[in-house]
Amino acid sequence: MAGQGDSSDKKSKEVMNDVSTFRAENLQNNMKVVYYSRTFLSIIGGAIAGILGLTGFMGFILYFIAMAITSIGLIAKAKFSLHSYFDCWNRIILDGFLGGLMSFVLFWTFAYDIVHIF
Amino acid sequence: MAEDLVLDTAIRDWVLIPLSVVMVLIGILRYFVSKLMRSFQVPDPKIVKEGQVIVRARNLRGAANFIPPKSFRSRRVYFSNEENGLLFVPKGQAQNAQAQMFSDPNIAMDMMKKNLSMIIPQTLTFAWVNFFFSGFVAAKIPFPLTQRFRSMLQNGIDLSTVDVSYVSSRSWYFLNLFGLRGLFSLILGEENAMDDTQRMMQMGGFGFDPSKSLSAEKDGLDIVQHDWALPKFEHRAEAVLKKLVS
Repeated sequence: MAGQGDSSDKKSKEVMNDVSTFRAENLQNNMKVVYYSRTFLSIIGGAIAGILGLTGFMGFILYFIAMAITSIGLIAKAKFSLHSYFDCWNRIILDGFLGGLMSFVLFWTFAYDIVHIF
Repeated sequence: MAEDLVLDTAIRDWVLIPLSVVMVLIGILRYFVSKLMRSFQVPDPKIVKEGQVIVRARNLRGAANFIPPKSFRSRRVYFSNEENGLLFVPKGQAQNAQAQMFSDPNIAMDMMKKNLSMIIPQTLTFAWVNFFFSGFVAAKIPFPLTQRFRSMLQNGIDLSTVDVSYVSSRSWYFLNLFGLRGLFSLILGEENAMDDTQRMMQMGGFGFDPSKSLSAEKDGLDIVQHDWALPKFEHRAEAVLKKLVS
């Protein structure tokens, strides 16, 4: 997975239940990493779907699988202690979920056309 | 519905691939051109000062719970009292700053350069696509769509019998235009990713007014509920130590 190397440089070690010890910039940087990984994975996923020749629903299912893999990969990268890096679960699981769809469709179409249509 | 069309391989080699490659290269070119054209402005000391004050106030707000109540209150007064607080903007000055912002030709100029560097390549590419590749099917999207999308995907072909999932070359250009944004943000850094959409939104707030953000920050600081965290930290430390000992 690309671009996650710097996800370890931030953060507030303690998980306080009552006091928020987050720094906005670090949180933002983490969000950027999530966004990068999602875009990257959606492009790769699009190319894979196209080369495999998936059509219709299968392709979108592959997109959701790719996004789920991204989430799992990011959680693993955060060593399963989400709260050291993000303030809530939604950040890693839902944010930007549909943002890569356009790139996915483009690369899916591109690879599919090149490999299967002509 | 018509059955599958057979597309010529030459279309792939001479339309589909070149079009996409050109779009990517033009995007990269545009990024570097706009980087070159970005003029360096000597920042106005007053604006820099105000920006720093805002950053300091924000830090105070963020870390409010880590200092004792008394220190927090004295700092808050320093920032937001009504006589000479740093965040307090006298009524008359606010108008002034905005008027000056508008009359400064450099800012408008910079704005225009940025927009031109975005619009010119797009118009040129569109004209190029129109001129060379108009009027034939260039691609097929791998999922079915309803008739509603016909005008979007088959821009430039006026045939109602062609299946909707076939894409005309002009529409392939539009697909590229939107879909490549993600790729650009990967290869050029996030700076470029926010270019198109976000800048258009910022355009609404053309005359950015520093005094407005000053008073917004002042309001934010005024409503902070101070709650000193240190006593809680002691409890927490006690709990942790107890757990360790037992």
